[in-house]
Amino acid sequence: MSESLIDIAAPEATSPDDQFDQRRRPGIWTALRRGKGLAGLVLIGVVVALGLLAPVLAPHSATEQIPGANLVGPSGAHWFGTDEVNRDIFSRTLYGIRTDLIVVFLAVPIGAAIGIFVGLISSWWTFTDVVAQRVFDLVLAFPTLILAIALTAFVGPGLRTVFFVIVAVELPVFGRLTRTSVRSVREMPYVEAAHVVGAGSLWQLRRHVLPNSMEPLLVQLAVSMSVAVFIEGAMSFLGLGVRPPQPSLGSLIRDGVRNLYDAPFFAVGPLVIVVALVLSLLLVSQALAEARRA
Amino acid sequence: MGAYLLRRLPSALVVLAIASFGIFAMVRMVPGDPVSTLAGPDASPEARAAIRADLGLDQPLVTQYVTWLGQLFRGDFGTSYRIGGSVKDLVADGAVNTIVLTVTALLLAMAVALVCSVLAVVLDNRWVNATLSFGNTLAIALPTFVTGLVLILLFAVVFPVLPAGGTPPDGFLARPDLSVQYLLLPAVCLALGAGAALTRFLTESLRTELRQPYVTTARALGISRRRIVLTQALRNALPSAVTVLGIQFGTLLGGAVLVEAIFTWPGLGGLIEEAISGRDYPLVQVLLLLSVGVFVVIQLVTDVIHAWLDPRIRIGAQA
Amino acid sequence: MSESLLEITDLGISFSHPRPAVRSVSVTVEEGEVVALVGESGSGKSMTARAVIGLLPDGAIATGSVRLRGREVLGLPEAELNQVRGRQVAMVFQEPQTALNPVRTVGWQIGEALRAHGGVRGKAAKDRAVELLREVEIPDPEERLGFYPHQLSGGQKQRVVLALALANEPELLLADEPTTALDVTVQAEILALLRRIRDRTGTSILIITHNMGVVAHLADRVVVLRQGEVVEEAGTRELFAAPRHSYTRQLLDAVPRLPTPEERVHAVTVDDAPAVATDAVAALEYDDVRVHYGSRMRGRVLPAVDGVTLRLERGQVLGLVGESGSGKTTLGRLAAGLVPLAGGTVRVGGEDLVRARGRRRADLRRGLAFVHQDPEASLDPRFSIAEAIREPLDVHGIGSRKGREARVTELLDAVRLPQSFLQRRPRELSGGQRQRVALARALTLDPRLLIADEPTSALDVSVQAEVLELFADLQQRLGFACVFISHDLAVVNKVADHVAVLRSGKVVELGPAARVFGAPSHDYTRQLLAAVPVPDPTVPNLVTSATGPALREQHIAS
Repeated sequence: MSESLIDIAAPEATSPDDQFDQRRRPGIWTALRRGKGLAGLVLIGVVVALGLLAPVLAPHSATEQIPGANLVGPSGAHWFGTDEVNRDIFSRTLYGIRTDLIVVFLAVPIGAAIGIFVGLISSWWTFTDVVAQRVFDLVLAFPTLILAIALTAFVGPGLRTVFFVIVAVELPVFGRLTRTSVRSVREMPYVEAAHVVGAGSLWQLRRHVLPNSMEPLLVQLAVSMSVAVFIEGAMSFLGLGVRPPQPSLGSLIRDGVRNLYDAPFFAVGPLVIVVALVLSLLLVSQALAEARRA
Repeated sequence: MGAYLLRRLPSALVVLAIASFGIFAMVRMVPGDPVSTLAGPDASPEARAAIRADLGLDQPLVTQYVTWLGQLFRGDFGTSYRIGGSVKDLVADGAVNTIVLTVTALLLAMAVALVCSVLAVVLDNRWVNATLSFGNTLAIALPTFVTGLVLILLFAVVFPVLPAGGTPPDGFLARPDLSVQYLLLPAVCLALGAGAALTRFLTESLRTELRQPYVTTARALGISRRRIVLTQALRNALPSAVTVLGIQFGTLLGGAVLVEAIFTWPGLGGLIEEAISGRDYPLVQVLLLLSVGVFVVIQLVTDVIHAWLDPRIRIGAQA
Repeated sequence: MSESLLEITDLGISFSHPRPAVRSVSVTVEEGEVVALVGESGSGKSMTARAVIGLLPDGAIATGSVRLRGREVLGLPEAELNQVRGRQVAMVFQEPQTALNPVRTVGWQIGEALRAHGGVRGKAAKDRAVELLREVEIPDPEERLGFYPHQLSGGQKQRVVLALALANEPELLLADEPTTALDVTVQAEILALLRRIRDRTGTSILIITHNMGVVAHLADRVVVLRQGEVVEEAGTRELFAAPRHSYTRQLLDAVPRLPTPEERVHAVTVDDAPAVATDAVAALEYDDVRVHYGSRMRGRVLPAVDGVTLRLERGQVLGLVGESGSGKTTLGRLAAGLVPLAGGTVRVGGEDLVRARGRRRADLRRGLAFVHQDPEASLDPRFSIAEAIREPLDVHGIGSRKGREARVTELLDAVRLPQSFLQRRPRELSGGQRQRVALARALTLDPRLLIADEPTSALDVSVQAEVLELFADLQQRLGFACVFISHDLAVVNKVADHVAVLRSGKVVELGPAARVFGAPSHDYTRQLLAAVPVPDPTVPNLVTSATGPALREQHIAS
């Protein structure tokens, strides 16, 4: 072996063998620092702030009835107008956001966590894998709203039901996705390599499979969060969600529809917030997905 | 092909069997008693017992289940406790309306997806892509109840050109023009989300196909990009698009519940709500079972179409 | 005289990267000539070919000039390029598995190629398609028209790709590594076919390859590229006889070689008996081993390994060679415990690998290491190099934190990589460097047995030469036994003490490397050896001598 050949392959020289990407691949997180991702994140921040600061920002409480203000249109005193029982819609909308935040940032992550756990554990052995897949299939066989209606029959309407429905819907979604990622990652030579040197299943799962399966799960998390706003809205719209007088974005829209002809302004505020929330989560998910493909 | 179907059939039947028992058991466990609903709060214990025996509710759960299955196989779907009348007729009436709505929406979504994705890929123009992508995100981001409201506000309240809800008074076949008017808003509202999702998927898979080596081969032969998209890439993207279509159909069925409520469309959605709030066991069971059945059948059909479209599955390797 | 068929002058291709893919390349191809563009990865040979047919990737900026019969091709609008593509220049690609549309029949795809240039339709098109398939020597062409690509073997697919390229009788055929993905015997057939096509139709061929053997037996003239520049250009015989540029010499020196005819004469006298007494405990023993693929539920069980008995002595290197589907990779994975055994026993250091449990099993595993062929995927992208090499120590909880770090440093030295690599990610390393890391990682626990599955097949020749040399050095120093799996006979010849030639899951020949390669006793071994294109244009071999069609196509189509 000539000395010069070794020189050619030395890392500092431009060897014929350096057809690789010198740049570090930007993590998918960097997608949140520009363009779509940033826009989505800012929008989420605004909506979350509105919800969290409701007690400070709202001129009235969610249930306070203001004498003489029945279905008044938007004005300086009542930005979004008032409803049929004299409540300030702006204040109710701010408090309503809180309900949706619980659903988005609590119910979805809980469902996701359980789903990931079940998917991870079950996919490692053939038998549990088959059983888990069948159960997931079964739950996913019901359209979400039909599942919601059936569950409401069981536990009655309320925020708790919305919570249950979202956990029940997201669990199989994440379980399945986890399984798909795990199946593809565990075939990778580097997992095999760990197996050959004697690493046990737990080691392989924790050190290699889970970290390398995270990205599609993150994208799905953002998607699922936007779907959760959807589900809360739809359930409340059908009268299966929060119980009055507690406000949620969906219930406010439902009330708005009831008064569509008398007070068309009613639903506008809550509609805008719902669309902003769904859109922002969707933008984040798209930004993450695009960063993953790049 | 037949063999493929046969191989898939058992697991579909197992899902149906488990689901049917699950539904049956779940419905029994729901709090609230149909007897008190039927008999009223002041009925005597004897009268309650009589009603209970009459409905077969004094039998063990498994016996009730087997009896119910037997009846189902004979085409006897039972009688609604509350609304009265045969479950079969109630479901059939609602089903017609729901099917008309969802199938229209599905066809609409498919047409939009096909046109938009092919346009996006063939033109490959920055502005076209940006416009389509923006419209797409918006269509996915707008919840059904939002678009439904906006559509009603726009086309029935502000510019009253279309009916705000309901079905044509004399059925769909009597006046096709009227049917279109009634169908337009709810179908568009229902199709929007599915159409956007399908467009996104199809555009993405067409782009992926265009990066495949066989496309390079075709381009090196002097075949134009448009021709490659239409005769080769689309054909390759189709099998997985069919699978997504199947999933979207399920979503459409769920969405139909909401759309029917918004547009006061007398379909299965309203029926199931009414049945559950009235603890109408026979009706609830059949409706839930129907929704699972539809799902299983659609999965089966999409799998078979997928296999038929892909020669690698249709014809195994022979060499 | 009239202008050249193809004249590339001072071609430059750059992306947004700082380093251009092609700096300055000038090549001419005359009518009826076969010119080879040779170089390692990053030399810009493929980009040059793609520029000729106007298929550069998005975002590539090309400068200079590419003229076809005097007409400038660079910057031609798409519609006019489509007139040139297929009719004047056609291209054959490296990977026949994906180069054909999987959901269209062979006949349809040929028809589409004909339609693109408004040629024949209907019955005439079908006749032309049959004629084309016959031209590329596919048996039963009428029947094959209705086949989908997945029903054809790799070699047949490449023939169909060739038929597509020839459909509109191009004057120039670009062949980008057309045989790299194929088995050696199929490669020989395709090369012979290319040569016959040139002789029959007078089509010029610009072949892009890294394989000096292919160059030696197909090309009239050679252009050597390195980092986007031409370093040498010469007639094939002159280049091999007297390379002028040092890089060309290095390239030729790095090519592993099989025994020359003179060496073969001596080989007959090599004794077949193992060097070590057989009563010693072997590093690895296969005893009538069987492995099945496919599931019994679906009714298709195929033997991947069919009754193999082999023995590897301690400190020796056993080479497993064979074509795809021979079972060589399965045998290696079996020894690593990655494949379920269907019958027989595998003993590592005298102990049954499959039946060992608990502590014994863990100990056996510690003595085993595996190097995968794909340097892209054999390291976890999230692990730093230090973490990757240290992982086996972490798994078994060996040594202190300091001790582990010292071991990692030592190993990195052993595979001749600088310490600055410790905190890098695999993505920041080249293929050769990654394969060294994989080797270091495999040696972390001082294995008694190393299984190397095509460890150099994804690497450039010069890098391969270094890795092989490094491997041989480490093997000598550390004295581990090794199963070395490769499709490349010359590579195995370089590193192995003994060789087993496999075919369809069975051992057809076994013996010392020098004897097996020098004086093969089995017909199949002879066929394999004859098919390897020797990097010496003065040696006649299969490529130039083969005249008949599809020598052993029936065997490959399994």
